[in-house]
Amino acid sequence: MRQFQVTFKEPTPNRVLIADDDPVMTHLVTTIVKQQQCEPVVAKDGREAYRILQSDSRFRAAILDMSMPFLEGLDLIHYMQSERRLNTIPIMMITAERDIKVMSNSLSAGATAFLAKPFTPEQLESAIRMLIGSRKSTRRAS
Amino acid sequence: MSFDQIRNVTTEQNSFQLAPRGSDTDEALDIAVLTAWEKVKTDDGSNLVVDLIELYLQSTLPRILAIRNAAAEKEWVALKHAAHTLKGSSSTLGLRQVAKVCEELEEASSTSCTDGVEALVQLLVYKFIKAQQALAAERDRRLPGITRTLQRG
Repeated sequence: MRQFQVTFKEPTPNRVLIADDDPVMTHLVTTIVKQQQCEPVVAKDGREAYRILQSDSRFRAAILDMSMPFLEGLDLIHYMQSERRLNTIPIMMITAERDIKVMSNSLSAGATAFLAKPFTPEQLESAIRMLIGSRKSTRRAS
Repeated sequence: MSFDQIRNVTTEQNSFQLAPRGSDTDEALDIAVLTAWEKVKTDDGSNLVVDLIELYLQSTLPRILAIRNAAAEKEWVALKHAAHTLKGSSSTLGLRQVAKVCEELEEASSTSCTDGVEALVQLLVYKFIKAQQALAAERDRRLPGITRTLQRG
């Protein structure tokens, strides 16, 4: 008798990692993430985000501030890209930096989207909606 | 730290004189930028603009003190980081004057020309006090009378 094995694909997680040391920005992003029926998981700096990511990869997306104490957003992107379990998570970088180089560095490091401060509610909403709806192609960990 | 305390910080050590209250609070806040956040609905029904004002006021005082201390200690990296963070939240809430001074501080701390930093820190405190007055007025206007009394009590 032939045996069949049924495997269930894990549902797409509904959680979004938010890493920002500014409570105003965290509150804004959290509010919009909740509006999109997702559960925000908040880290108050880069180090806390790194600790969360070390043991948890069930995120639909990650929204990272570029400039944070202890560990910057770009360092987090590099870490996420180096881990197979994390490198398919779409990432959006948020920064008040106006230098085009910063944007280009984030995107080439693996960010899916980039949002410059100041932003309007419409810009934040549409960026988060797009990020949550996006799927990142799998890359091999280097 | 209260409004009076932060005013004393500047007046005691720098002989910095404040302009009369209310003279340029209108310029301190671009109300259209702040009001734009009203249309965003929160899951618990709270007023997002009031929440943002409260969070900004709570988090900015320690950040300004950090900027002031970093300038005194000539810790340019710490100063640049604190000014950069404050620039982001200030510009998003329509506090353009605070954001502009933060940008100037960020630039000054990135270069070898740091002579004007002390004056910029004083200017930042002054601009923040104006922003604080404008934000507090906006918050009070949005809160029902009873909530306002409870919050102050």
